[in-house]
Amino acid sequence: MSGESSVVDRYRARLDRALNAFSERAMGFGDRYGWHLIGVSALVGAALPVVGLQEGFYMSLVSEMFLFAVLALSWDLIGGQTGYPSFGQMAFFGIGAYTTAILFKDFSGVFPSAVAGDPLLLLLATLIAAGLLATVAAGLIGMVVLRLRGGYFAIATLGILLAIQQVTRNLEITGGASGKILFEGPTGTQFYYLFLGLLVAEVVVVYYLSNTRFGYVLNAIRDDEEKAVAMGVNTAYYKTAAWMIAALFTGLVGGTWSLFNTFVNPMTAYNGAWNVELIAMALLGGSGTVLGPVLGGFGLHFAVVQIDALFSGWQLVVLGSVVIGTVILFPQGIVGAIEERASAMEYYRHGGQAAEESSDGTDQPVADGGTDDTTGGANE
Amino acid sequence: MSQTTRTEPTGRTVLETSGVTKNFGGLVAVDDVDVEVAEGEIVGLIGPNGAGKSTLFNCITGALDPTDGRVELRGEDVTDWSEDRVARNGMVRMFQHTHIYDEMTVYRNMLVSAHEDRGLVANLSPPSDAAREQADELLEYVGLAGLKDVKAGRMSFGQQKLLEFGMALMAEPDVLLMDEPAGGINPSMLNKLIEYIRSANTEREVTIFLIEHNMDFVMEVADRIYVLAHGEKIAEGPPEAIQNDDRVLDAYLGRE
Repeated sequence: MSGESSVVDRYRARLDRALNAFSERAMGFGDRYGWHLIGVSALVGAALPVVGLQEGFYMSLVSEMFLFAVLALSWDLIGGQTGYPSFGQMAFFGIGAYTTAILFKDFSGVFPSAVAGDPLLLLLATLIAAGLLATVAAGLIGMVVLRLRGGYFAIATLGILLAIQQVTRNLEITGGASGKILFEGPTGTQFYYLFLGLLVAEVVVVYYLSNTRFGYVLNAIRDDEEKAVAMGVNTAYYKTAAWMIAALFTGLVGGTWSLFNTFVNPMTAYNGAWNVELIAMALLGGSGTVLGPVLGGFGLHFAVVQIDALFSGWQLVVLGSVVIGTVILFPQGIVGAIEERASAMEYYRHGGQAAEESSDGTDQPVADGGTDDTTGGANE
Repeated sequence: MSQTTRTEPTGRTVLETSGVTKNFGGLVAVDDVDVEVAEGEIVGLIGPNGAGKSTLFNCITGALDPTDGRVELRGEDVTDWSEDRVARNGMVRMFQHTHIYDEMTVYRNMLVSAHEDRGLVANLSPPSDAAREQADELLEYVGLAGLKDVKAGRMSFGQQKLLEFGMALMAEPDVLLMDEPAGGINPSMLNKLIEYIRSANTEREVTIFLIEHNMDFVMEVADRIYVLAHGEKIAEGPPEAIQNDDRVLDAYLGRE
């Protein structure tokens, strides 16, 4: 330790320690106050229009941020938690979008007049169909594609997205390639609360599940499906269930989006670029976590819109760079990196070395408090 | 001396195969093998490389469908059962290469393996107190209690092996199939492993059927041994008899 390098080293060590302390505290806080955090965030979200967020550009922007957070979290449930990276998640978005579009525009007569007369009620009614249809479609598609793994699964899901897009383009009822124009939807504020409600509902469901045995099994399938089967898990059942839950929320948010967007066509409803975008959001935020994809969805969509405003047309270039940068520098994403740091601390605090030795033959118990000092000293 | 001797089973038969055969195309990997494992036994399965030991294990656990023959678990025909169904019904296997869930914490690795928490309601609930207690107790037993909040993939190979053993016990199997438990383990840990296997057998009443290449280890730990060569069962008996069996020596030394 001499010269300038020692200064750099000292600062690096200090930064390291600060990051470690932060990571541990953040993880501890998240574990203890997860539900409080969700509740407070939901209230803040609900309060924004009351305290001054007006209909217009910014309300739309925040609504879209909610939308992308739902998409990223849905993708992550199957892609990040279960280890099945889908490039066809947008298929369920499109199915939801077209279901509400068609029912809203062409079949409003089948609903009672009290419902049909109110755009919000009508949308809510058609959303039930959208969620149901997306979930059923996912069940059928899942039975086929969830037998594949890794790259084969990714390609198969992409194929399904493209196939459904083409079918939609050729059908009469969907309006063919030109799609459907949908005015007379609910107001911007109503949309805001719809997207917020969907996001909160999904966060609650995913967060709850991630602390149940169901959630543990999904992670087990991701880490080692062969082992999970050998331990008695009927993995097909769990994978399909996760896939269907993801499709349910994707379909619901898609169904809301078509009216929000006032226009739906095959290119935008089954948007392959969005599919890549929402994967990037989940990865950047931290896949396999609940908070990560939500933060990724918020942050990346906000960034994309800002870049589009400043350097129009460059947002996809930036998006691509962000994906590459994330995968190289932060393979676990922001939340994942924090988690990893906390886990590393835990390992060394409880004497990873001592435990290693004892498992290699010596008889001493694994977790002596005595190893604390040695690991503390290692940073100096 | 070359005669195959047989010890009397100590209890009811838990696992039985009759005439199990597995063909891969023209190759006969397992040929008409009968094996019987009685409750409370520790039974070894040895044989030269490529003898068909792992293939037999795969046929027993349902990972492969045997071409012919029958596999019975506690008298029930499980030949056509899926692998996960066999495991749920009390026959759990450990792999030759360590398989753990490396991105999950040690504790979750244990909890997700719990026999306690099965069924729809248990699935949609946080792990039960019973499962937590059992996980704590077993982690204490395998000496990993202090590492329970660590990601399993971060641990050393030896620690991961112990975790995998703990996970298998968490599933409360009647029969535990172990594929080369001593593989890659250093000599000082071997004795510890023998103790673990024995105490699981006696205190937790787990019947054990294990494949092993390490002769000292298998002779030490097994009550009875089956020997496979070229897919056929060539000998069975207590360790002393196997050590002196001509056909076994031939198979290992390559004499014809």
